[in-house]
Amino acid sequence: MTALRRTATIAWAIARKDAIAEMRGKQAAVSTLTFAAVVLLLFGFALGPDPRRLADAAPGLLWLGLVFAGLLAVGRFHELETEDGALEQLTLYPVDRRSIYAGKAAIGVLAMLALGALLVPLVAILYAVDVVHALPVLALTVVLGSIGFAAVGTFYAGVTVRLRAREVMLPLLVLPIVAPLLLAAVKATTAALAGDPLGELPAWLELLAGFDVVMLIAGAGTYGFLLEE
Amino acid sequence: MKTRILGFAALLAVAAATLYGLFGVPGDLNQGDAQRIMYPHVSSAWLAYLSFGVTALAGLGWLVRRDLRFDAVAVASAEIGVLFTALAIWGGMMWGRPVWGVFWQWDDPRLTTTALLLALYVGYLLLRRLSDDPARRATRAAVVGLVAAIDIPIVHFSVIWWRSLHQPPTFLSPDKILNPSAPLQFVLALVGMLAAFTLAWTWLLIRRYQLARAELAREEAVRSGVVRSARSVTTANGEGGVAQPNAPVEAAR
Amino acid sequence: MSDVGYVIAGYGGIIGSLAVYAALLLRRLARARQHRSPGDDGA
Repeated sequence: MTALRRTATIAWAIARKDAIAEMRGKQAAVSTLTFAAVVLLLFGFALGPDPRRLADAAPGLLWLGLVFAGLLAVGRFHELETEDGALEQLTLYPVDRRSIYAGKAAIGVLAMLALGALLVPLVAILYAVDVVHALPVLALTVVLGSIGFAAVGTFYAGVTVRLRAREVMLPLLVLPIVAPLLLAAVKATTAALAGDPLGELPAWLELLAGFDVVMLIAGAGTYGFLLEE
Repeated sequence: MKTRILGFAALLAVAAATLYGLFGVPGDLNQGDAQRIMYPHVSSAWLAYLSFGVTALAGLGWLVRRDLRFDAVAVASAEIGVLFTALAIWGGMMWGRPVWGVFWQWDDPRLTTTALLLALYVGYLLLRRLSDDPARRATRAAVVGLVAAIDIPIVHFSVIWWRSLHQPPTFLSPDKILNPSAPLQFVLALVGMLAAFTLAWTWLLIRRYQLARAELAREEAVRSGVVRSARSVTTANGEGGVAQPNAPVEAAR
Repeated sequence: MSDVGYVIAGYGGIIGSLAVYAALLLRRLARARQHRSPGDDGA
């Protein structure tokens, strides 16, 4: 088996393991989705009731909802490992650390996509935004944003997994890093919904893609150090 | 001792540069006296970025060489970096209010990037405080410092794109200050302040590094039970409790 | 506040903070050195 295939196989195994564990305890998945919906509701209370203001803010609110709920999700996938000392077991396997990172990041992306599938329609309904005409581009934006966020979030979840005050440190560390991702994703979403009048969409999507690549490499490269000892 | 001489030199240089910036150099035609703030503001920002570059490299040094002295450099540089970042933001705000009319502008790339820099490295310092084991702390800090450093250019470029699509660059852009065709005195004031601040930075770094080494030594002594103080033994992050040499490793390592 | 006020606030804040930090740093360093165990290398 080539090294790449081996990495992919292991990553897939880890992602599958986490997904099954999550599905069994459906609670956490449902709770995270519910949390995201509640956040969007609360944004309505905070910025409403003027529908125009909400519609203008919709792209930003969508991505804030995705980011806040995403934090919970990626934190959760590492938390799974602290139960029953699973993390120690995992590090004992003679496995390339990058596979572990890849697997966890992959399940993180899936979680973000699930959140996206929920939140995009919700935004359309709650903030009176027509998303149907821009759906393909929106989907692409969500995919790119999810990859970048999962790459960063998974990495920092690994950093904070056994730390005191983990619940606050994970957001505290992740949020500044993903500021450019948030910026680009919101700009891309806004442009997509408006039909891209200024032709800026490709630039933002490129920025997202670039962010994804850089963070995946940085995360994969340094994650191994965290699992040592 | 050489460091002490450096300290005095830095003090004199900063005093001289301040006097020149406040009284010697003329005000700007457009911005008036407000432009004077640029000298310490830009200098602070420059040193903030330098500090975080040093922190990232020192972290890399730890990961590669596993010598805690690298980590001492990293924490020293990070703490000083946070200081200079805060100063840069303060300076930016004091400049912005008279010139823009507001303390903050979102599409000024320098200001927003610097604000994020502050958030990133305060997080870095907080993270360090939560780890007691020196090696683990150093590793966590090193990887976080590296990723943060990688993020900074991305942030900078995205804000520039953000701005360029929003409106054309205003003529009040601080980049004008670094324009080589600016009057010689402006350049002199800036370079002078920058040099003075760099001296101060170097001195601060050395002293902070010494502090980090001393704290490491104390941690080590405490850990091996050599030193006991009257109050309960404290680790470097101030957590109380009595440490025993054979105590099991705490859950939050 | 006139421009001069902001200039003073700017310089005062920056230079002042540097001075305060330096002073605190020296104090922290003095304290840390007091407590170190014998046989430790110094500055």
